Amino acid sequence: MNENQEGFIPNPVLSGLVGICPLIAASKSLAEGIVYGLGTAVCALVLGAVSPVIRAKLPDRLRAPATLGLSAFLALSYGFALKAYSPAIAAGLWLYIPLLAVSGLSLSVLRRGSAKNRFRADGRSRQIDVAVEALLFLVTAAIVGGIRELVGLGTLCLPTGGSSPAVLTIADFPPLKTLVSPAGGFILLGFLVAGYRAILKASRRRSQ
Amino acid sequence: MSYIGIIVTSAFAANALLTYGLGAVPDGEKGDSGSLVSALALALVDCIAAGLLWVIHRLFLAPLGLESLDIFFFAVLAVPILKFIARIAYSSRAAVLSRMGSRAEDLIVGSLVFGVALLSSKGGYSFPEALVAGASSGLGYWLAEFLLEALRERLELSDLPQAFKGAPAMLISAGLMALAFMGIDSAFVKGLAG
Repeated sequence: MNENQEGFIPNPVLSGLVGICPLIAASKSLAEGIVYGLGTAVCALVLGAVSPVIRAKLPDRLRAPATLGLSAFLALSYGFALKAYSPAIAAGLWLYIPLLAVSGLSLSVLRRGSAKNRFRADGRSRQIDVAVEALLFLVTAAIVGGIRELVGLGTLCLPTGGSSPAVLTIADFPPLKTLVSPAGGFILLGFLVAGYRAILKASRRRSQ
Repeated sequence: MSYIGIIVTSAFAANALLTYGLGAVPDGEKGDSGSLVSALALALVDCIAAGLLWVIHRLFLAPLGLESLDIFFFAVLAVPILKFIARIAYSSRAAVLSRMGSRAEDLIVGSLVFGVALLSSKGGYSFPEALVAGASSGLGYWLAEFLLEALRERLELSDLPQAFKGAPAMLISAGLMALAFMGIDSAFVKGLAG
């Protein structure tokens, strides 16, 4: 991993702090992290694919309301699908699923989608960047949720369907419940961002 | 709950930034976040957004049993109204109104305004209570932002390891501040203020 490498795409969360609001408060377990990360990734991918079409077909003043309406529709559809698949996880993410409509990753994808050129200077399609960023977001959300749940409660909750998701008890130690609170989310994210920076710096030094 | 209880709960015990993580954005992107103009803009935008979503939720969607569509109708109906109001304020001749309008325009499409509106409309409040809850959430967010800004100035002068400088130090500080805000228990506030 080297940021000077050609085509390197930085982690949107740990490098750009994009869409950290749900990771702080909502991703309290592995299942919630995966489910929220997947929702964000799907919304960003669809918006990334549709925004050039909206740009080409709609007049200037209608583009923003149309994309916001589409974004809200996607959030709503994902919410309904999640409620049908796992009501327990949907209940845990009650406030944050509707907020997929204005997730940081989707907004940053839309900002870039409004650029005239669909290809970067190196010839790569911007849609590939969106796909990689969406995947990185999903993985980061799962890691944040997993660490918070494992260290905070000693369990790992899997995103299985049904009324109650499967829970694995991993460790038998006094749990650090603070990590499951939003305060713990802020603190963990701070350490993860610092760790990511340290790794990037070390790899940059090694490549020199 | 009394109005004092709603104000204290929305601003402290259920702080939009430190309890719900709403509007947590990369540092250095907020402009004059600590100013009083920013506080007024936050309070007004959140108050109007909460009121609009309350009206949409209770008067239009609830009678039809379509409450779960609230975010869609908020995005397509309330956001254009909020943007229109912000644009009118921005084009005003009064400098304060113009700055408020500019700040409000930046805020409207974001998790803070959407989240506060959802919290206020789903909190079981009456219309005036939802307005007060929205405004106090905005002010609570501003307070947290203001305190973090003061901390940032101190952190910039302190001798931190390179990897922790900037955003990581701010996130950890925000976490510690959130722990302090967690101490303000909403049940205690309810008992105290009624």
